[in-house]
Amino acid sequence: MGYIELNVLDNAPRRVVIGIDLGTTNSLAAIWRDGRPEVLRVEGEPALVPSAINVRPDGSLVVGRAARALAVDDPEHTVFSVKRFMGRGLSDLDVDLASVPFKVTETESKLVQIHLRGRVFTPQELSAFILRAVVQQATRALDGAEVASAVITVPAYFDDAQRQATRDAARLAGIEVLRIVNEPTAASLAYGLDQKKEGTVVVFDLGGGTFDVSILSIDDGVFQVLSTNGDTHLGGDDIDRALIALAQRELAGRVDTSVFSHATYQQAVRLAAEKCKIALSQDPQADLALALPELGVALRRTVTRAEFEALMEPLVERALACCRRALDDADLEASEIDEVVLVGGSTRIPYVRRRVEETFGRVPHTGLNPDEVVALGAAAQAEVLMGGRRDILLMDVTPLSLGIETVGGAVAKLIQRNSTVPCSVKEGFTTYVDGQSGIDFHVVQGERELARDCRTLGRFQLKGIPPMPAGMPRVGVKFHIDADGLLTVTAKEESTGTTASIEVKPMHGLADGDVDRMLTESYERAKEDFEERRRIDLVAEIGTMLRHTHANLGVAKARLDRETFEDLVDAIAAAEAAQSSQDLPAVQAARDALDRATIPLAAVLMDDVVKEAVAGKRLSEL
Amino acid sequence: MSASHEPESVGDPVAVPHACTTCGAGLETPLACGDCGTMMTPSTEVSPFSVIGLDVAYDIDQKELAQRVRKVARLVHPDFFAAAGPTMRALAEAHGARLNEAHEVLRDDVRRADWIVRSLGGPSEEQERQMPQEFLMEVLEWNEVLDEGASAPPGSTERLALTPLEAELAGQRAQALREVTAALTPLPSPGAPALVDVRRTLNAIRYLDRALRRLRDLRVGQPS
Repeated sequence: MGYIELNVLDNAPRRVVIGIDLGTTNSLAAIWRDGRPEVLRVEGEPALVPSAINVRPDGSLVVGRAARALAVDDPEHTVFSVKRFMGRGLSDLDVDLASVPFKVTETESKLVQIHLRGRVFTPQELSAFILRAVVQQATRALDGAEVASAVITVPAYFDDAQRQATRDAARLAGIEVLRIVNEPTAASLAYGLDQKKEGTVVVFDLGGGTFDVSILSIDDGVFQVLSTNGDTHLGGDDIDRALIALAQRELAGRVDTSVFSHATYQQAVRLAAEKCKIALSQDPQADLALALPELGVALRRTVTRAEFEALMEPLVERALACCRRALDDADLEASEIDEVVLVGGSTRIPYVRRRVEETFGRVPHTGLNPDEVVALGAAAQAEVLMGGRRDILLMDVTPLSLGIETVGGAVAKLIQRNSTVPCSVKEGFTTYVDGQSGIDFHVVQGERELARDCRTLGRFQLKGIPPMPAGMPRVGVKFHIDADGLLTVTAKEESTGTTASIEVKPMHGLADGDVDRMLTESYERAKEDFEERRRIDLVAEIGTMLRHTHANLGVAKARLDRETFEDLVDAIAAAEAAQSSQDLPAVQAARDALDRATIPLAAVLMDDVVKEAVAGKRLSEL
Repeated sequence: MSASHEPESVGDPVAVPHACTTCGAGLETPLACGDCGTMMTPSTEVSPFSVIGLDVAYDIDQKELAQRVRKVARLVHPDFFAAAGPTMRALAEAHGARLNEAHEVLRDDVRRADWIVRSLGGPSEEQERQMPQEFLMEVLEWNEVLDEGASAPPGSTERLALTPLEAELAGQRAQALREVTAALTPLPSPGAPALVDVRRTLNAIRYLDRALRRLRDLRVGQPS
């Protein structure tokens, strides 16, 4: 059978720049269009892509809504909240590890590895799958326009390793990152608060997994972040956990406690808690209901709003304590705040709104969907970066102090937290042994006094210092935090002008080689995926061919010579067997053999058709 | 490993461009031309006052400083060069960092005074470690109240004594800053003996800042 190839010579696909909110729970994209940011959604589908990934028994991946749906029956192979793993080591994950149903290990450089059905994934790779799903949805929403690059948001509290991991995830997904922007600052752009001549804004972002508060000043279109604070382990998930603990207390004594560590129970109770929480934002009371007959679990517990608020109180207090510290760092009183912006699904909870309003004495902005605000702001920032508008400028800060470990394990702070980025600091180093050619140093991020209490950014080694007596070399090391909040280090020996090289051993991160290797692997994987699709197509084709052949088997037996007919019967048997084969070349060979074996039958059938067509007609009419 | 803190270098204002190398317009900042938008490449370190386009003075208007910083940021911030080539992006990163560093130095009363003292040939913090004599006596007393309060449980008499202490130290700091302002307005001549007194007062302010930070942490809870 021949195909007509329609070669449509269209213009090259439109290339667009989008803003992406890569969230702990959900992710989404927005674009700047007709002078305002707009969420990208496919008609009739929700805009949010759940940040969930499920690995199927055949090793293929399902991302987004489908993965979340699969999670109930297949929790062991579903990853939620992968953002919590980004740029972190196992020791930072102690709270979460007990509740994840899959195996998590780490490499020597403290890079987390997630094991699912025999495959091993880094958080960067899993985030890349989510980013790909978001970009695919964006492409569909934009009628096939190609997403060239993106602004991606991160929590203001993300340290260098976490920002770098986000960048690497985008690289793995084939997206050029135009800028990494802090979520709270993106949110204030979305509200168009730049239209205000002057003012002070608090952005209160209580998401699924993290809490961030930022205090910004706005003056004539310039947004300046005065301070940020937050808690990387405070969010809607913690509110869920409080309800899960309540369910556990109710069930204690009624069910075997081993049930609580059962993966099916854990996913089901999490969903039940989330459902109850969402209902309580509307209704004065809601049921925390759970029915898992296979585990002997049946629970229906009515939770009143007052009870729910009592459960949330300590969590909201923690968030408000961060707010007070942020105010203090910005040298402001709560009464000096002009605007309050709410971000994150958890700010839909009336109790959270009430407490925020009481704290700042301002009615918060709630005009935009709190789940979409960050993506909208990212799109607005993308427009600025593409040169589309110069009327607004975002001056962001670095959330954590940068320091180096000195003798005795203390930290010498080089860049203070809340410094506006980009920022640089130059530090002089020297040797303490004659002829010493290298200096090792340990760069940390954090506010604590001792290096071991801060997060390791990397161990750097200065090499190539010319041989000189101890204390003579003057090595100038420049630490630069760029507008994305990422650190680069350069060094120069000043007395001789030699450029010393710096070797970076990233912690919790991917070396450049790792990213390249993963990209190659993903291409290989793409080849595998392509082959799998080819196999499925061939099996379908074999099915069609077999149906036709079986239908005409009587004709074949009557009209073909014995040898040809037996060849055909053999080819049919081989093709039927190949339908369940996983081996592409074998399937291809069986299909081709069947195709060849049916040629004589096709000729006979064609003969009949032609005879019928020309019956009763003279040669001249043909 | 040893790290020696180098003093911030003090720029020679003459080595800094005053006119745009492209359009010839006069420059408010040596980082970029406000008329045609060209970014300059000054060959030497530029003083923080020069970066922002202010005359050297201790007593500056913070509002004017912030406005000037925003004006320069509109010329050099990396956000406006995100779609440009790598050389321009790197220059914007470097200029942005220079601008922010200058702003950090100038907006902080202590760092601004520190820069001026050193630029006039006065002693650095390492060279002159003394505090004013009358101040030293009180430090011992404050430390005692602070240590007792910090180790006592919240609500105790010792802990409650920290509230008036915080107010007293804040008052002392304001007084010390007034002394610094008076000594640096108008600017003393280079190498003047008054610079040593200013350095000692700055040392006292650094002590007060550490004590006030400790008091604040006790009040609002330890930072995470």
